[in-house]
Amino acid sequence: MTFANPLFLFGTLAALIPLLVHLFDRRRPRPVPFGAISFVLKSQRRTASRLRLKRLLLYLLRTLILLAVPIALARPQFASAQGPVTTRGLAATAVVIDTSLALRWKDGSSLFDAARDEAKSALRDLAPEEPATVVPCTRTPAPVAPLGFERARLFSAIDDVKPGYEVADLNRCLEVAARALDESPLPNRRLVLVSAFTQSSLRLEVSPPVSTGPKGEKLKPEVVLRDVAKGREVLPNRAVIDARAEPAPQLGARAWQFTFTVRNYSPEPQKDVELRLEVNGEVVSKGFVDLSPDGTSQKTLAHRFAQGGTVSVTGALDADSLSEDDTRTLVVTVPKELSVLLVNGAPSPQKYRDEAYFTEAALSAPGSPVRAVTRDADAAWREDFSKYDAVFLLNVEAPTDEVARALAAFVDAGGGLFIGLGDRVDPDAWNARLGAVLPRKLRVLKTAVEPNAPDAASRSARLEQVALTHPVLQPFTGTAREGLLSVRFWRYVLFESEAGGAASDVLGVLDDGAPAFIAQRKGKGRVFVFASSMDRDWCDLPIRTAFLPLVQRVAAWLTGTLDEREMVRARVGDTVTLTPEPTQSPAFARAPSGLEVPLTPTPGVATVSGGPLPEPGRYDVVDAKGQALASLAFAATLDPAASDLSRHGADALAGWFGEDVVKTAGGGGEREKTPVWTWLIAVAVVAFFFEGVLLRR
Amino acid sequence: MLLDAQTLSRLTGVKVRARAVVEGVLSGLHKSPHQGQSVEFAEHKEYAPGDELKHLDWKAYGKFDRYYIKRYEHETNLRALMVVDASGSMAYGTAGLSKLDVAKVLAATLSHLLLRQQDGAGVALIAGGQFHEIPPRASATHLQVLLDTLDAAAPLGTTDLATAADTLAEKLPRRSLVCIFSDFFDDRADALKRLLALRARKHDVAVFHLVDKAELEFPFDDPTLFLSMEDERRIEVNPREIKESYLEEFGRFLGEVKDACTAADCDYERVRTDEPLDQVLLRFLARRGGKL
Repeated sequence: MTFANPLFLFGTLAALIPLLVHLFDRRRPRPVPFGAISFVLKSQRRTASRLRLKRLLLYLLRTLILLAVPIALARPQFASAQGPVTTRGLAATAVVIDTSLALRWKDGSSLFDAARDEAKSALRDLAPEEPATVVPCTRTPAPVAPLGFERARLFSAIDDVKPGYEVADLNRCLEVAARALDESPLPNRRLVLVSAFTQSSLRLEVSPPVSTGPKGEKLKPEVVLRDVAKGREVLPNRAVIDARAEPAPQLGARAWQFTFTVRNYSPEPQKDVELRLEVNGEVVSKGFVDLSPDGTSQKTLAHRFAQGGTVSVTGALDADSLSEDDTRTLVVTVPKELSVLLVNGAPSPQKYRDEAYFTEAALSAPGSPVRAVTRDADAAWREDFSKYDAVFLLNVEAPTDEVARALAAFVDAGGGLFIGLGDRVDPDAWNARLGAVLPRKLRVLKTAVEPNAPDAASRSARLEQVALTHPVLQPFTGTAREGLLSVRFWRYVLFESEAGGAASDVLGVLDDGAPAFIAQRKGKGRVFVFASSMDRDWCDLPIRTAFLPLVQRVAAWLTGTLDEREMVRARVGDTVTLTPEPTQSPAFARAPSGLEVPLTPTPGVATVSGGPLPEPGRYDVVDAKGQALASLAFAATLDPAASDLSRHGADALAGWFGEDVVKTAGGGGEREKTPVWTWLIAVAVVAFFFEGVLLRR
Repeated sequence: MLLDAQTLSRLTGVKVRARAVVEGVLSGLHKSPHQGQSVEFAEHKEYAPGDELKHLDWKAYGKFDRYYIKRYEHETNLRALMVVDASGSMAYGTAGLSKLDVAKVLAATLSHLLLRQQDGAGVALIAGGQFHEIPPRASATHLQVLLDTLDAAAPLGTTDLATAADTLAEKLPRRSLVCIFSDFFDDRADALKRLLALRARKHDVAVFHLVDKAELEFPFDDPTLFLSMEDERRIEVNPREIKESYLEEFGRFLGEVKDACTAADCDYERVRTDEPLDQVLLRFLARRGGKL
């Protein structure tokens, strides 16, 4: 224990006064002859024991008063709560302020407000001759301002510090701060760490910071710990730490399911925690989760969207002390309804022999956003192609020049064209009429084996390579890939080698090197060619498990909706990379608070990137003209580690920094709020009151 | 005129003080009840040799021609004894007169009144275990003897009411009025009871319980060494600490004395040393119907 005004302790000698009065009071009582002395004697005998106790209590109370008052005036302080008293002379000081997400934790006021106060208090405690600087600590600390004596500038710097959404790297910040102190000619260094001391922000398995003295010697700086959490053992928190979105075709068209992972970071279990699913800010569904102490729980909520488009989906818990991590937002692109014209070149009353039967069934499967319209060739050529998002030519004869031109114009304007071949396709006629839309000219029909041949299974052609990186084939990994590779081809069309013009992508190659799938962008549109037939005449793809997803993804790719389904996963503090359409030129991403994050093109790649992302939530991407690019909108999420508010104990911190250099100040719990001297005064007042009561009795 | 202690204390001697009180008492009585001897006719009896001739009823002889003797009630005067406690504690007084002074004045006044109506009055002093008695007589010159005796009485020794009670029981063969003036500070439990037992012997007992204002109120503040006025006892106390307990004890004592007197069918009069004594006697006489 230390005393701010130790001279007042001499006042405690006054506590001897009652004893001295008792011992040396020789006042002669006045002798009085009294007739009724018998009654005096009786009364004295009757009250003797009570009077002895009363006198003893009076003596103790008076002594207590005379002890408490001078001790209170001496302003005692416990050693564990002592301030940053400089024991080794003047020291250059760096005040490191933690800006982790943890400091947004609130109990009335936020920990960050307390951090500001603590930092200012630390500056006030410094002697005027001590140079100082302020180090706002983030995940990637910025260069530190040089040491200075101008306190106003430092106070202003503290006011400018904002709480972040990440886990600050206190180890690195302390190192940076220690290096900043190297400039000082003073022999001593001091680091003031204002933090909540969460385990995620400060790692104790690495070495503590070391500074360099004026002569180049290594110095362990004095470390003053200012705990903004006021000694709390735990900072209870729960958070949505993950969110996943996936289509749920089993629930209908445009139905999606969202799986949220909720984590309880407190030692108390939590029951029936409400989880809300919000779409564009409107609650559409609710669920409840039970959370075990320090446990995790998942909840899946589904929603069927009325229409396609880009939507923000948020999983939200009731706000707790740290509300920032109680929501998690995703931006999903719900496919719009696609209109596809199937041109059936070989209709048949027998469904399984009909050229369009399998394709129509695949496109119209439950959950598919496609509305397929099937026409035979003659009827189809009279259709206005511009009413459709894509046209599937299934084993059709070469159309007239007029239709061919209309198809070319349709593709050029952004339509998707699928070409499935068959025995109605005459390569020469097709090359002549539809050469403008074909990625490669057709050469000749090749028959690997007759379908009815006894050795058809072994001699049929098979896919040997598939471009799994292409959006259409991305899902065909693992066993799905085997399903694709096991397709048997009996007949297929060979293509001319690639000539000049726009490059085409061969997405699948048969074992003889012939292309099976060719994709190409033409103008604003896309063309996809399948070298075999879409019925069972030339291959058995339509009865393979890969057929349905393949057809649906081809339709999606042709209409441009497949790209939109790729969800961008971005994290606060990180850089985001977006892949815009060739026609899009994004300029910046606008954060929920309105902050703008510039997006710059990545050299050599058709992507743009920007960051670090300042806050969680939905970011809208805007081009240079100020037009929002809805398809590029994305959401940034928090690092789950930032939500873990587990704290280091005081002993662990003292052990890591070194018992000889560490001090704790401020935030010392209740003692800081109610100093000892106030308790002593209170004791004196109470003792005085009781002394009065005893004297009256 | 109120004959309070302050006024009487300015008068010297029991005789003067008693006279002043007597005058106060007499002026306070509306009608004197003392109309000559209390001799009343009882019956006639036929003369027989040996009867006193002075009691012959000559009127009856004239009427009946026979000798009749008039017979009367027992023809004696009232005998009263003033028993004054002259123990050490009776010397205490804070209002000008000590309790003993007050007792003397009251005894003298009552004696004066009794002799004035030709009753017999005597005085008994109890002091230091001694019993000094001036027997009751009805002669007018006896008053001076009584006053001198009272005047000479000085406080001495402990209160010994029990001895006084025994002595009185022996020396009072006839029914008498016994007026007891004391503070009754006798530690023996049966002292008062034995004194009041005189009532059982057909004596008329009147108790004048003398108390001082300081004994009633205990007006002490500073630490005080209380000295006994009868023996060597002494005690140093802080009066404020025991005041409550003292008042409780003393109040209980006063109640016990009064209750004992009432239970024994004795007159009880509590006399404060600071109150007018004529008022005390008038109150006493009024309760007895205006006569002794």
